[in-house]
Amino acid sequence: MKFKAFLTDNGVALLEKRFLPALDKIDKTCNLYLTRDHAVFLHNLLNGDGLQSVAQFRIEALFDGYRISSQNEDRIAFAVDLSLLHRAIRSSVGICNELTAAGSASERLQIKLVKKLPANSTQPMPFLTFETKGYKSAVIQDVPISKPMSRAQVLELQSALDSAQALPKTLVQVHDLNQLQSFVDRMRHVGDVLNVWISKHGDLHLQISTTLITLGAEFRKLVVLGERAEAPREDRSLSAQARSERAVTRGDAEAVQVSVKHFAKSLQCHTAKPDCAFYGIAEQGACLTVIFQFFIPGTRQTDKSISLHCSFFFLSTPSNLG
Amino acid sequence: MSSSAIGAEETADLLCHLDNVQGIVDALSSVRWKRHQDAVIEVSEHGIVLIVEDSGCLQAKVYLQRELFIRYDYSAQGRPRFGVGLGLFVDCLNTFSVPGHSNTIEIRYPGPDMQLLLKSIDSLDACIYAEIRTRIPDTISWDYDFEPAGSSPLSFTVKSAALKEAIDDLEWPGSSVQITLQPAPPSVMFKGEGHGDLQIEFMYYANTDLLIAFHCDHAVSHRYKYKFLRATTSNLPSNVTKDNRGSKLTIGRGGMLKVQHLVSVARSAATHQYNPSGYQQPSRIAYVEFFVKPEVDGDDT
Repeated sequence: MKFKAFLTDNGVALLEKRFLPALDKIDKTCNLYLTRDHAVFLHNLLNGDGLQSVAQFRIEALFDGYRISSQNEDRIAFAVDLSLLHRAIRSSVGICNELTAAGSASERLQIKLVKKLPANSTQPMPFLTFETKGYKSAVIQDVPISKPMSRAQVLELQSALDSAQALPKTLVQVHDLNQLQSFVDRMRHVGDVLNVWISKHGDLHLQISTTLITLGAEFRKLVVLGERAEAPREDRSLSAQARSERAVTRGDAEAVQVSVKHFAKSLQCHTAKPDCAFYGIAEQGACLTVIFQFFIPGTRQTDKSISLHCSFFFLSTPSNLG
Repeated sequence: MSSSAIGAEETADLLCHLDNVQGIVDALSSVRWKRHQDAVIEVSEHGIVLIVEDSGCLQAKVYLQRELFIRYDYSAQGRPRFGVGLGLFVDCLNTFSVPGHSNTIEIRYPGPDMQLLLKSIDSLDACIYAEIRTRIPDTISWDYDFEPAGSSPLSFTVKSAALKEAIDDLEWPGSSVQITLQPAPPSVMFKGEGHGDLQIEFMYYANTDLLIAFHCDHAVSHRYKYKFLRATTSNLPSNVTKDNRGSKLTIGRGGMLKVQHLVSVARSAATHQYNPSGYQQPSRIAYVEFFVKPEVDGDDT
């Protein structure tokens, strides 16, 4: 089992400033899954509990001189602590910059998988090692990782990943994630469970309802991807609640309940600087999915080398949908 | 649902529009001294008053006069009163206050099920709404009629930031605080007694910049529980200490202490930039009053 690569400047910029801080907020530990073509950071894909996230990069987006080999079709997966990984990259980058400033020749940040004997231990342990070589010196940082996953576990991870790629039939586009985040952050004081409705008319409706209060927000006329439908004229004058309920009855909307905490966490992904986000609900309200879209810098074209999405698994489907 | 909503509009006791939610959140937050507080809201043709109480010893009122609203339609007979959880109400209002956006909201009472209804009305394609369940309020448990102690008032006005600092400093002796006013030399003294004692004195002539006004014709001294005194300044919004207008303290009959603050409900800074004079409309002030009962053994001296 071998893995060795050089982190490119673009890779450093993506991971250090954008993705690692965002992913760290979802959960401290994640699985890093490396294949011949992709590097994927995965949260909670195997335990299926609450909030899942998948951040996938084409190898060229992060690395060059990428070498990987394993007896399992060159696939390697392990768990890593994101804050340690972030710290290691940050400080390696710092060292690289210092060396460059000192006029040293082409410093590159190498990353590789090693097994080492830690101090006070007789068992060799796996590490992800970051090596910065200067003219006269080299700085090595070891980030401890879990034992690489077995063939069976990797297969399970791959199939979970495949099924997580299924898209909801209707997606609505949210441009202003900051506004949504500020709203949800304030809303979370009021209750724990968030009702979410998404309709083919381009409506996204969020609501917290307890015995004492109902607090909600409805965003209308959003851009729809996938299945869409014209909203009936008579629904215009209705309350948001009534409109959503009627759309569900007609089959024009799906509803799901998720944890407010999870929803707020997923909005932290805006630190990864996505250009916009799409929300959709899987059929029968199985889960809420948010897909973040990244543009190629300076264009309005989707950067297909990066993808990030989160799914929230349902607490239960709302029972009050009459 | 729609027909009942339209019906409610016709018969609503109160329908008002507000363009500075954050100011109202600040004003209401200043009477939030613990986690769970029941508030009573009283609506009249003059505006909205919110009242909270604690242990029969402390009462606070926030006056939101009708001038603070850009629309205020009142059509009730008598003065409707209802109870809400203060924390929930403030958290809910806070959701409507989106920084960097103008937020105009509509407040309506009662809804079809006696709820307090709120909704944002400044955007057609995004709407925030809330329905807060109201309660039938308890009767006010003590008579808070504040009466002057004598023919001339016993009062002083102190810079709000200084008052807050003094009360914060009195925390360590804890327990109770004695407030003494004396005419010669004109001064106010806060004395905390408990684990130790701490005395903070404002001399009128020495600290005219701190003690802005002083009225006292005979010495008076009363003790108040620290936790109630602290509640009067613990959640002052930052604009009160920043503007530092001054808070007025008056001692009434029986030693009842009245503390008054002025909370600015001026519109958000963004709209202010268009106002070349920088002059704030005087009516855009919410009045906050606290009434603190003295400790029983703190008789007049």
